[in-house]
Amino acid sequence: MESIIDLKGEMSLLTVLVLHSTDMHAISAALEAKRQQASHFLERSPIIIDCQLLGETGLELDFLQLKLQVSKFGLVPVGLRNLWEEAEAKAIAADWALLRPSKQQTIPNTPPVTEVNLTPEQPEAIQRLLVLDRPVRSGQQVYCPYGDIVVLQHTSAGSELLAGGSVHVYGALRGRVLAGVQGDTQARIFCERLEAELIAIAGRYRLLDEIESNLKGQSVMIYLDQEKLKIVPI
Amino acid sequence: MSRIVVVTSGKGGVGKTTTSAAFATGLALKGYKTAVIDFDVGLRNLDLIMGCERRVVYDFINVISGEANIKQALIKDKRSDNLFILPASQTRDKDALTQEGVEKVLKDLAEDGFDFIICDSPAGIERGAALAMHFADDAIIVTNPEVSSVRDSDRILGLLQSRTLKAERGESIREHLLITRYSPTRVASGDMLAMEDILEILAVPLIGVIPESGSVLQASNSGVPVILDKESTAGQAYDDFVRRFLGETVPHRFLEVEKKGLFRRLFGG
Ligand SMILES: Nc1ncnc2c1ncn2[C@@H]1O[C@H](COP(=O)(O)OP(=O)(O)OP(=O)(O)O)[C@@H](O)[C@H]1O
Ligand SMILES: [Mg+2]
Repeated sequence: MESIIDLKGEMSLLTVLVLHSTDMHAISAALEAKRQQASHFLERSPIIIDCQLLGETGLELDFLQLKLQVSKFGLVPVGLRNLWEEAEAKAIAADWALLRPSKQQTIPNTPPVTEVNLTPEQPEAIQRLLVLDRPVRSGQQVYCPYGDIVVLQHTSAGSELLAGGSVHVYGALRGRVLAGVQGDTQARIFCERLEAELIAIAGRYRLLDEIESNLKGQSVMIYLDQEKLKIVPI
Repeated sequence: MSRIVVVTSGKGGVGKTTTSAAFATGLALKGYKTAVIDFDVGLRNLDLIMGCERRVVYDFINVISGEANIKQALIKDKRSDNLFILPASQTRDKDALTQEGVEKVLKDLAEDGFDFIICDSPAGIERGAALAMHFADDAIIVTNPEVSSVRDSDRILGLLQSRTLKAERGESIREHLLITRYSPTRVASGDMLAMEDILEILAVPLIGVIPESGSVLQASNSGVPVILDKESTAGQAYDDFVRRFLGETVPHRFLEVEKKGLFRRLFGG
């Protein structure tokens, strides 16, 4: 059988789901098959959907369904990457975050390649610190793969911060926040008011509902203690 | 130099067209040469609310595709010599709206000496809405006191900061929050978000609060922008909003539940 999706571990923690087809039934069936192989593997994993192989047919994706299906299998959808540009508005309308492709990658308009070539970035191109002086709004995603993110305002519900390093928010943190996305267990999250939808460090997750209610709305620091996410007031 | 202002919201039916009509009329009455453009290709509402639907000959798309020039397409308002309306096309395809076309129309208007160009955005975040905001200097973000409208406004604020010409140049659009259809009674009963909650979520400067008012529907049915209805609370609140936009300091009104006096309780109000 021709494969419909590939699951590839990448950057040690974020799993990438590479779509070969826009057929939602086929995708769902393929996910089900993967789950039967390794149910614990999918449980709660953050996942990036890669649309590179779809090229222009990315326009045909049912983005709402995609989100539903992925969530149904216990995956936590992080965002889409390498999506055909004209499909972006549609994806945003369905509440998807768009991951900007790294500089070396371009969206193919020639027949798609099978392997994504991840060349290491040039040392001078690596951003160590990203400072934002405006609120991060719903639908916006900020990605600093190898450095820290500092937000001088709030982040909105429906926004997302992804940092290789730590994240500091000098305001309410209402969106999702993922620190240490390359696996750095030393990364930390600091915020003035914890109202986040989801917090994660190096792949260990917690949703807002699972956060002790006395910590909600507080100034906190979040770090990893062994395997456990610790939230402490500051 | 014209100042280009987009009236936008994300969510549909929150009062963008009502606001655009009132805003443009208010600016014109204060002496500014003002054009108001309907970007809602395919729906065409603004001309109805402005009461000029029977005088539409050419439209926005005709100008963009070179079938008419801007002077032919602009409809002069009956009530003010300073006010002109550029209606949307009711028949044409949305794809006829192009960035180059919009840019040219805005340039033509600027050369004609317009002080303000008001862009009435369609709902959503697709092409029409994106083009309505693309060249803006200012944005009026119209929000109703409910969660989904506030969330959509937040989304629009993100796009204003990332997808507009100003953003591409590393500058930023001036953002103004206008809360419409505000009902203090329903806020008090907990059915609606309070002004403070909305401000807390969006963190954008507030330029006005327009109360829910039956006179808005009345006004649009008779083709008279509600700002001309000096008796109505909505009309007065729109007038306050225009003055604030022009730099005056005007206190906010109509935020509290009105205590009806005996007279009004007996005779209605
Ligand atoms: N302050 C108000 N009080 C009562 N009704 C109002 C108020 N503002 C707007 N409305 C009503 O809400 C409806 C939608 O208004 P309007 O057409 O201005 O919204 P819109 O945002 O332009 O909609 P669309 O997204 O479809 O373009 C109309 O019926 C209008 O009469
Ligand atoms: Mg409208």
